[in-house]
Amino acid sequence: MADPLVQFDGVRYRYPTGMQALDGVTLAVQPGERVALAGPNGAGKSTLVLAMAGFLRAEGTIRVAGHRLTPASARDVRRHLGLVFQDADDQLFMPRLADDVAFGPATMGLEPQEVEARVREALAAVGLEGYDDRVPYHLSVGEKRRAALATVLAMRPQILVLDEPSADLDPRGRRRLIHLLGGLEATLLVITHDLDLVVETCERTVVLDAGRVVADGPTADVLADPALVAAHGLEVPHRLAGQGGG
Amino acid sequence: MLDHFASRSTPAHRLDPAAKAVALLAVVLATVLVTRDSFLPLVPVAAGLAAYHALSRTPIRYTFRRLAVVSPLAVALVVLFPFLEPGEVLVRWPAAGGEVVVTREGLVRAGHLLSKFVLCTWAALLVLATTRFQDLLQGLARLRVPRVFVTQLAILYRYLWVLMDEGMHMRMARAARDGGLGPWRLRWHSRAGVVGVLFLRSWDRAERIWRAMAARGFDGTLHAPRQHRLRPVDWVFAGGVLLASAALLVGDRLVYG
Repeated sequence: MADPLVQFDGVRYRYPTGMQALDGVTLAVQPGERVALAGPNGAGKSTLVLAMAGFLRAEGTIRVAGHRLTPASARDVRRHLGLVFQDADDQLFMPRLADDVAFGPATMGLEPQEVEARVREALAAVGLEGYDDRVPYHLSVGEKRRAALATVLAMRPQILVLDEPSADLDPRGRRRLIHLLGGLEATLLVITHDLDLVVETCERTVVLDAGRVVADGPTADVLADPALVAAHGLEVPHRLAGQGGG
Repeated sequence: MLDHFASRSTPAHRLDPAAKAVALLAVVLATVLVTRDSFLPLVPVAAGLAAYHALSRTPIRYTFRRLAVVSPLAVALVVLFPFLEPGEVLVRWPAAGGEVVVTREGLVRAGHLLSKFVLCTWAALLVLATTRFQDLLQGLARLRVPRVFVTQLAILYRYLWVLMDEGMHMRMARAARDGGLGPWRLRWHSRAGVVGVLFLRSWDRAERIWRAMAARGFDGTLHAPRQHRLRPVDWVFAGGVLLASAALLVGDRLVYG
């Protein structure tokens, strides 16, 4: 098997308030895998993402694309990670959409023509062609979410990490997102408690609760287990209801 | 919004933002520097602005409303001049232990300062009304305005509305529970609470925006704006306004010394 693209080994993190958010997480994601990280609120999902990008200094070992994460290597590690945050308003910080999408490639030091080409490609990939001059504030929630994804796609990261990508989306926006994610050829780590989205986009599911990995396996097996999902504050997704039973 | 009419397409809108920024600076400098003894030098400035206003087909109401919003500030600044400036006395009121006088020179000085304020604000409003804010920022960047400053303006413009939305939601949530009634002391207390929470939320948001920037490789260096070529009409416009402003200042010095 190839080297994992992302590897967590005994990762622990305690917030200054004393809450143990991560309590020994060990997990590996192989290149090309689509993995869902599910769990109830407060399970440590978002903390794990912040630790993985070096925004929090966790104990244990984290490796991304062969780099061991240290405070010194955090910047290199982030080059391989495409992080899409939960609140698209945080991600879209420029007054013009095309400038926002160009921000990452320009920061990477690419030539202006290449930056322009990446902007075109990323906006097309999320179905926002012609939105260059739009003001992010005026986009709908669904458009903002797709625009946020474009800002990251333009950097062509090795792994895409999406934090609650379907939160606040209406059914049509959610459908569109599922379709979009299905068409992406990237290693995917999706943090969510929208388990129906997981069933349609990820073949592997990791359940995190109280900062620990409590289940890890094929989505169809993990999420169809009513006892397991109920024990961790989740529900069997509609698509799998009636198929499982343990 | 300030740039509500900026997406229209008139010759004034199509001018290059950098050319407009240079012209604005020239007009403001000339207006501020001309003599305070006569209103005459202000007439060509007003005529030029009126011509640009007509060219841009900006509704007069837009300009008046915004001028009305900022004018109290200028009025507060000049309101004492008629009473304090020495000169020919026009009106005299006896007051406790002495008298209050209004002088002609004081009135002229106040009127003059107010006119200059209105002209400068009008010029700035016209630029904002005919230029989309993001284009203006690009223009400023091309004029070598420090990138940090341009980026701060961009982020301020981007998040001002988000912040206003948050404030409005909190105000509605509060009004839904107190119905605008209750003792004034409590109402002010809750208003102060809204401001405090808004401050904390902005702090949190700033942190999250920084993370989003850092996640995309931001290391404190900002990158050059897109290249842009000025058309002859942009050169003519900026050059014309610069020359006219310089001529106004020279003429002003010659006549009023």
